[in-house]
Amino acid sequence: MIKINNLSFARGNSLILNNISFQAGPGDILVLKGANGKGKTTLLSNITNFLEPLEGEILYQGQKVESHMASEFFLYIGEDNFAYDNLSLKENIEYWLAIHNVTFSQDVRDKSIKYLFGEINLDKKFYQLSFGQKKKLQLLLLMLVNKPVWILDDPFNGLDKQSIEKITTLISKKAENKGIILLSSHQDIEINEHKTVNLK
Amino acid sequence: MINNLLKLFVNEFLLMMKGSVFTFVIYSLLLISSSIFALSLRHISFGIEIPIAFLWIMIFFITLIKVEKVYSTDFSESKLQQYNLSPFALELIIFIKNMMIYINLTVMFFIFSPLVLLILNIPFSYFLSINLLLALSLLSIVFISSITASITISKNNRLSITSVLTFPLFVPILIFSMALTDIVDLELNKMYLFFVAYFLLNLAFSPLLTSFALKRLSN
Repeated sequence: MIKINNLSFARGNSLILNNISFQAGPGDILVLKGANGKGKTTLLSNITNFLEPLEGEILYQGQKVESHMASEFFLYIGEDNFAYDNLSLKENIEYWLAIHNVTFSQDVRDKSIKYLFGEINLDKKFYQLSFGQKKKLQLLLLMLVNKPVWILDDPFNGLDKQSIEKITTLISKKAENKGIILLSSHQDIEINEHKTVNLK
Repeated sequence: MINNLLKLFVNEFLLMMKGSVFTFVIYSLLLISSSIFALSLRHISFGIEIPIAFLWIMIFFITLIKVEKVYSTDFSESKLQQYNLSPFALELIIFIKNMMIYINLTVMFFIFSPLVLLILNIPFSYFLSINLLLALSLLSIVFISSITASITISKNNRLSITSVLTFPLFVPILIFSMALTDIVDLELNKMYLFFVAYFLLNLAFSPLLTSFALKRLSN
């Protein structure tokens, strides 16, 4: 269970988040909605302990989320790409799996790559990929890094319909396996049984 | 965990190798500036202290530029968020990156040094002692530069000026380097130990301060 209690966040003199409270349990998909600038990304960054709230608390399994807890339980996929431009797709995959301390057999890794990318030359430099392909590299971590909480900031941005369906399937399966999914999205999402939090 | 840590070293080495072109470019600028320096002072006779002081100041700037460049790309917000959620401590990732920058700069200087010594009219008998001295002092320079870079690249620009506060930390390195160049022979002098001690001191504090600056000043 992840619980956000009366969370407020300010940047400089402007209050971005004011008194936000909600909770999500195992199997829940929680969608954050709100217009641009309403603090969706900021809220997700607060949850991952990347930003420090002004007031309020974030609890996971009854404990305040500290950096060691966030790294153990949370997987965050942000809006901006984190991959290295001068590394190839394959080298980037190796790099970020090592950063997340994940070891997989070549077979599992290849199957996951094929599921998301279809046929692709893994030796292609990252900067040679399209926006959608770049996004898929980030989302590949969802398949290979096993953490109970997924925090996804606009995961469908830039993806084609087929890829959106694949990611939606992954999210639904994660929820079936009692994972917790918090996501923000500008698009209307076709996921069954999800909760919505509106940021005003 | 150990396996992935080793992979991390290998991956960072790969990244460093791919970033070597930039190091090559800034060392080429060293050659140009050395040439201008030597040409402008061709009518004045002086010992080797002045060219060596010039060399050290240039290396100091080269290191600052290199570290700043690596940090601005490798610690962008999106990458930093992933590093924060990694089971490896951010301090460890900073240490690995700093060591790779150090290896990159030292190896490249070793390649460029015969030409630099020739341009600056420094006798070749100094070749090994200058390389050794630089290898020792660069360790501390890189680690202090990482604190400077992490403050400068932080989103909170109001605090960028605080990066100037780290500059006094470079002074002991410059002073001891100058003192050591008076010793021509290569016998291991006890003064060399200063650099080792100063590096160990930096090793204890620098990754912590860098990680603090990267995490907290980004808010």
